[in-house]
Amino acid sequence: MTETLTEILIVFIKIVCALVWFLLLTLYLTWLERKESALIQDRLGANRAPIFGIRIIGLFQPFADAIKMIFKEDFVPSFSRKFLHTLAPFISFFFVAITIAAIPFGDILRIGNRTINLQILDFNVGLLFILAMLSLGIYGIIISGWSSNNRYTLTGGLRGAAQVISYEVALGLSLIGLIMVYPSLRLSSIVVYQGELLFGFLPKWGIFLQPLGFVIFLFAALAETKRVPFDLPEGESEIIGFFTEYSGLKWGLFMMTDFMEIIIISTLLTTLFFGGWQVPWLASDGFHFPWGGELLLPHVVIVLFQVAAFNIKVFFFCWLQILIRWTYPRFRYDQVMDLGWKLLVPLSLVNIIGTGIIMTI
Amino acid sequence: MIKALGYFIEIIRGILITARHFVVNLFFHILKVLGIKTKRKGAVTIQYPEQKKEIVSRHRSLHRLMTRPDGKPRCVACMLCVTVCPSECIYVEAAEDPDPEIQKYPAKFIIDLGRCCFCGFCVEACPEDAIRMDTGNVHFAQYSQQDLIYDLDKLIG
Amino acid sequence: MIKIFIDKDPVEVEEGTTVLKAAERAGIHIPHLCYHPAFPPEGSCRMCLVEIEGFPKLELACSTVVKKDMKISTKSERVVEARKAVLEFLLAEHPLDCPICDKAGDCKLQDYYDEYGLFESQFKEVKEKREKKLKIGKTLILDQERCILCTRCVRFLREVTETQELGVFHRGVHSSVNIYDGATVVNNYAGNLAEICPVGAITDEDFRFKTRSWFLEKRESICPLCSRGCNILIEYHPGFARFEVPKKVYRIKARENPEVNGFWICDRGRYGYSYLEEGRADQIILNKIDGENVLTWENISEYLGEKIKRLYSAKKATGIALILHTWLSNEELFLVHKIFKEDLKVEKIFFADPPQIEADGYLLTSDPSPNIRGALEIGFDIKTVDLDALADGTDFLLAFGPFLSGLFSLGDLKEALDKIKGKVLFSYYSNELNSLFDIVIPVALIAEKAGSLTNVDGIVQSFQPALEPPGESLPEWKVLADLGKKLGIDSKFFEKFTSPDAILGEMGKKITFFQEKE
Repeated sequence: MTETLTEILIVFIKIVCALVWFLLLTLYLTWLERKESALIQDRLGANRAPIFGIRIIGLFQPFADAIKMIFKEDFVPSFSRKFLHTLAPFISFFFVAITIAAIPFGDILRIGNRTINLQILDFNVGLLFILAMLSLGIYGIIISGWSSNNRYTLTGGLRGAAQVISYEVALGLSLIGLIMVYPSLRLSSIVVYQGELLFGFLPKWGIFLQPLGFVIFLFAALAETKRVPFDLPEGESEIIGFFTEYSGLKWGLFMMTDFMEIIIISTLLTTLFFGGWQVPWLASDGFHFPWGGELLLPHVVIVLFQVAAFNIKVFFFCWLQILIRWTYPRFRYDQVMDLGWKLLVPLSLVNIIGTGIIMTI
Repeated sequence: MIKALGYFIEIIRGILITARHFVVNLFFHILKVLGIKTKRKGAVTIQYPEQKKEIVSRHRSLHRLMTRPDGKPRCVACMLCVTVCPSECIYVEAAEDPDPEIQKYPAKFIIDLGRCCFCGFCVEACPEDAIRMDTGNVHFAQYSQQDLIYDLDKLIG
Repeated sequence: MIKIFIDKDPVEVEEGTTVLKAAERAGIHIPHLCYHPAFPPEGSCRMCLVEIEGFPKLELACSTVVKKDMKISTKSERVVEARKAVLEFLLAEHPLDCPICDKAGDCKLQDYYDEYGLFESQFKEVKEKREKKLKIGKTLILDQERCILCTRCVRFLREVTETQELGVFHRGVHSSVNIYDGATVVNNYAGNLAEICPVGAITDEDFRFKTRSWFLEKRESICPLCSRGCNILIEYHPGFARFEVPKKVYRIKARENPEVNGFWICDRGRYGYSYLEEGRADQIILNKIDGENVLTWENISEYLGEKIKRLYSAKKATGIALILHTWLSNEELFLVHKIFKEDLKVEKIFFADPPQIEADGYLLTSDPSPNIRGALEIGFDIKTVDLDALADGTDFLLAFGPFLSGLFSLGDLKEALDKIKGKVLFSYYSNELNSLFDIVIPVALIAEKAGSLTNVDGIVQSFQPALEPPGESLPEWKVLADLGKKLGIDSKFFEKFTSPDAILGEMGKKITFFQEKE
């Protein structure tokens, strides 16, 4: 009885920790986006929002934004389908938030004789689960566009749906090669496989085994996040997007969904192509360097190393995605479609065949 | 294919430029935080309420009405500014001055700054150099539109 | 007819005309300041110089009479140079205070400087100091500095009013227009001086500093203040919505019509424009009526038609009385005549016009209502209101115009009108008179509707709306045409009356007087 209760408690704590990590990172990505874009453009960026006169480079800005958004008027247009209009942002938010359940944050943490998996749920179809949930998020876009009962939002929603569905194909296909190499859909297993070494020194990370797959996945994933240069569904600056009729917190949910997608894409990139929580040459008892050295470390330190490695990699990819967003202009709609169907899908098919040929050899 | 490769190279070059800006600016910011003085700053931002840019001489700021040596407005209510104003934000009502050398003076001179587009046509049109936009005052935001309607006293003062 | 050549184009003109008139007829404007078509040429401003082949010097277009095969050039280099030189001399003493000059915008000197001048002054000397604000008449102010000594004003007072209050005094550079000792310009046509002055030397206190002439919209109309029917221009400011300044009439000017008023209008017409705007009624008033609560003309015309029809079919048309006035246009009077006199056989038709005034022997007549002749020609005999006869056995009264209150005291009117059950008033103004009637319907003034008037000499003049009627006001011809339709006695006849023109056309068929005048 107590055993089950403890198990439940542990899972509960894991959920809370993961969600807090997820949402805090989301909040601070908005800050990072402002600061990074500012640095790129030789500006300072948000540096106000003081608490008791303390500014620390605008670190409280996300909270100020959140408070503002909460207290803004929640305007629902009289001509909209009220229920669906309210539901749409929650659908979008929910299906992205739930994907965090399958992400492995680290290896196994041993406390006493209890082993805790640093992952909320270790699915055997973890990868498919994430892809499926990301695909379901499209309903939020379509419903918001349709229920706003506004021609512009509807076309925005349709653009979004078309784009997301197109890139879903390339996204899935690009991962098939990877699954062929690491024969598992369980994300924890994929990460464990990546702990092995290639030619004795190179970690067996996905980037080295599937370079083409990585590039295709990166492009498709960027399109999946619906941000510049693939921000056709929104096009906040010029073309009118699907959440035009939203305001306040509901609009905020859509915006947060975008940032959460960035994080999920980053965690996926990390987990699939950059070894997840793996630190090169760090085994479960310490470092085993390829040139023969050894550095044995206590278990807790190793787990900390692993979690830190995972976080650093995720942060890097978040940074990279924001860099991309602030570098490139928006694609034209037909260019987006061309890139998806005429380049990425054939390339990913070539990648599958190539992988197959190399593996049989 | 070669063309596509060219695009690809340009895409990489683009992201390297932005990344360079990021890294270099971050470096200078860190130096500043560490208290090391450098000639170059990490940003060109002017921290507005604390730092202010000097207003250039031809900048068009809040209007003012010029006065004669005895303090009467120089304006003769010819209404050329009213005529030329593209946003129709000036209203002038003329009155008779007992001095036959002046004859006409503005009994009312109202500028609705809420409508004014600061084109400066009124200044150009004025035959008496009675209206100028050289106060350098750009801080006249108000909480109500009514407070943005400036009358003769406010414009002279 | 002889043939001359103006700027190489052959022009056929009558013998004896001047070059200036001939050129005007050919569509060529020769600049002139002192010349006015109402007076013989003076030739003092020298602006109209033209080059004529065979003449050694430039000649004055205003006073040179054309001869056969005369070759005139109005735009040659010599002429343009001369105009520039003339302008320079005219402007030598001109103060250039256009910003405070009411003429600015209408000023011919300004226009010509813009067209032919555009020079920098060569004069270093200080300009002569003169009287800048000399009150020469009840509403006229003379600025001698601006005066270019064209003597139009002097000639007007000598030849038109024959009062001769102004003259040119002194000589040479000191010459100036002034009033004779003790005299002021007091006559009923003094207002024309400000209008004919080509510069801003004589300005009108009534208009002085009120607005600028380029803000004003100019609309043609006919003066209704006496039976002369002078042609006028109504100049109004369309209003300044952003500062809640409403539309306002600023002045009335004479409009040229040689048959009626020549170039002039009297001061009564010029300054009496307050009738256009002061105290106007702008909504339908229901003082005492049951059942009706929607105040639209549609409903009320239905109600009136029904009411009159009932009286008519009960053979009680004798109980209907009518008060008319002669500010109504020919068309309106015709409709009244048709509906009430021909169809309903109403006998009690009275006229209530403003009381007579003193005629001045020139334009102003003694009848302060514009269409008495029209009413007579249509077939009314003009009976002034007799209150006893009016109230006697009357069930229903339709009264037009606000002039009843000028003829009788309010108490007498109330006593008489209280005996009448149904009373409807069509009025321009909202005053105490309105309280005596059950329904008051605001109607449009002559300046606000289309139609025609017959003046004292029997000249039928059409006019178009110059201003917007205030609020719910309707033109009376529309009111009457609607009533005619609603009555249903001869409703086909009224169907086609969608505009005053259509009514005038019908009048031409019925009444010989209007035959050729439609």
